[in-house]
Amino acid sequence: MAFHPLAASRVHLAPLLPCPAAPASAAHRRRFSAIVATAAASATTEFDFKAYMGERAAAVNRALDAAIPAGEPPAALHDAMRYALLAGGKRVRPALCLAACGVAGGREAWAMPPAAAVEMVHTMSLVHDDLPCMDDDDLRRGKPTCHVVYGEPIAVLAGDALLSLAFRHMACVDSYPPDVDPEKHPARVVRAIGELARCIGSEGLVAGQVVDLEMTGSTGNVPLERLEYIHLHKTAALLEASVVIGAIIGGGSDEQIERLRKYARSIGLLFQVVDDILDVTKSSEELGKTAGKDLASDKTTYPKLLGLDKSREFAEKLLCEAREQLAEFDKEKAAPLLHLANYIAYRQN
Amino acid sequence: LVSVRASSTAPTASASFDLRRYWTSLIAEVESELDAAMPMRPPESIHSAMRHAVLPGAGKEGAAKRAPPVLCVAACELLGAPRAAALPAAAALEMLHAASLVHDDLPCFDAAPTRRGRPSTHAAYGTDMAVLAGDALFPLAYTHVIAHTPSPDPVPHAVLLRVLAELARAVGSTGMAAGQFLDLAGAAALGEAEVMQVLTKKFGEMAECSAACGAMLGGAGPDEEAALRRYGRTIGVLYELVDDVRSASGNGKMRRNASVLRALGMDRALGIVEELKAQAKTEADRFADKYGDRVLPLYSFVDYAAERGFELQDAVATP
Repeated sequence: MAFHPLAASRVHLAPLLPCPAAPASAAHRRRFSAIVATAAASATTEFDFKAYMGERAAAVNRALDAAIPAGEPPAALHDAMRYALLAGGKRVRPALCLAACGVAGGREAWAMPPAAAVEMVHTMSLVHDDLPCMDDDDLRRGKPTCHVVYGEPIAVLAGDALLSLAFRHMACVDSYPPDVDPEKHPARVVRAIGELARCIGSEGLVAGQVVDLEMTGSTGNVPLERLEYIHLHKTAALLEASVVIGAIIGGGSDEQIERLRKYARSIGLLFQVVDDILDVTKSSEELGKTAGKDLASDKTTYPKLLGLDKSREFAEKLLCEAREQLAEFDKEKAAPLLHLANYIAYRQN
Repeated sequence: LVSVRASSTAPTASASFDLRRYWTSLIAEVESELDAAMPMRPPESIHSAMRHAVLPGAGKEGAAKRAPPVLCVAACELLGAPRAAALPAAAALEMLHAASLVHDDLPCFDAAPTRRGRPSTHAAYGTDMAVLAGDALFPLAYTHVIAHTPSPDPVPHAVLLRVLAELARAVGSTGMAAGQFLDLAGAAALGEAEVMQVLTKKFGEMAECSAACGAMLGGAGPDEEAALRRYGRTIGVLYELVDDVRSASGNGKMRRNASVLRALGMDRALGIVEELKAQAKTEADRFADKYGDRVLPLYSFVDYAAERGFELQDAVATP
């Protein structure tokens, strides 16, 4: 995937973009939070992010529940898919997809099938990632992982089935509400499916996993460019897909779609930088997954390469870049995406 | 097995249609489509593993037969549509099929060290890379169909979406994955209904999907599509059942487990073979009046699936 080079590698060379520079001090985190709290309040005073996310997560969960073939055998395979898919989680990717559809001028309901699809893909990647031959994780979202409960072969199959279901659900005309534009909708869905497939394949998500695997076990630190490649593919690619396919289904112009793509890449990398920071600053209980795992496995992370303060600075810069992309859109419609970016920056788990 | 004539009125396949030549030329086209769809690029390890899985070359058991794509193209051409409309979907079928096989060969499943006489993907590239190669082949199939199917003309976007949904359905939790799941349950204890269910899900669904995609891409009406679906499903099961019968009687390659024969017994298995042949020919008969000689590939597939009148790998080696 031809990502534009992001500037993690320039984090200690170039000045930060027009954003309030945060001093590298112990109070940094608190001040960082204060800056955003102000920005968020000034953007939209009435926007209730918590309620927005709660409603979207509930709607997405209903869509996911309804999308798994009910009553059709084999029951145990569908149980395993449900176990992995309906385990809770914040549904950040579907929310991004729905919000992008709204920003691009569509009705959020149009993007519910792709929103469900990206969550299925995300879940599938987690199920396979947790396998003993991969990361070998026993705990996910505070619960035993899929292969621990159902066994390895069923976990492999459940992942494959979720991946297939994502594309089937997205391609099926019956998945969409009746008020989509009958002329333009099919072409949009074809384009959106192409985007999703490209972002999760051997030049997207899988590429990130492969390079990550190849790094594991190698001694010494991974260079910053390589770390960025892994995160841009392993994490940002699916966030990019979520936002871009939402914008496509919403009928956004090519220019709007590209702007939102840049937004998604910035928050995608931001997501991972924050993850790295949380891994060294939070407990397993707070995270719902094994904390300190990166340190224990001697994995290269942003805090390790840049230090904690520089990592936070970099996160702030990425947040600013993401917010810049939203400046061209209607303020009210862009509020969910703005708050999602803030949420990704300031989440505590 | 005794050859059964297609029907009293239908022309015999061998008279004016050479399946071996048709199949061989199509394999070459599909192989070059697949080769072009998977160029070596970074990260090279994963693309190399994907190529290994999809382009197995001529191992000791010969080249891949590419039956799903051939069925897809034949269904499309039956309806008079250009081959180019079906070729990308045909290649995608092979990618999806290969992805399922790569995962089916993993140590936690069949633990197969070889496939078609070559090391299986996990044996050559490691288990982790094999999981990822499968995961990457699924989306590549959809990317390929979208990028290369001539759309919106002659294939409208709405039809392309139906093809994508069909491909995804066939390898999903009610299709091939269901068959793999049922297969895990332990074949020895299965009765006839369960064994036929495994064959239908593992092999029938994929063949039905091949025929259905060809039908949609060729512009089939609902009745024609339904008939081609039934035809494809029947052919897929017939082919596997005959494989088991042949391996049990020493005529074919030995399968790892001959559970079908164990569950059914030879007499019953041969009875089912005849039933499936008759069913497939009945479906093909529906097209004979309207499409004339273009129906001949359909008849000849039935005969080939039942009789294995020639060895395809010889044809590939010496075209």
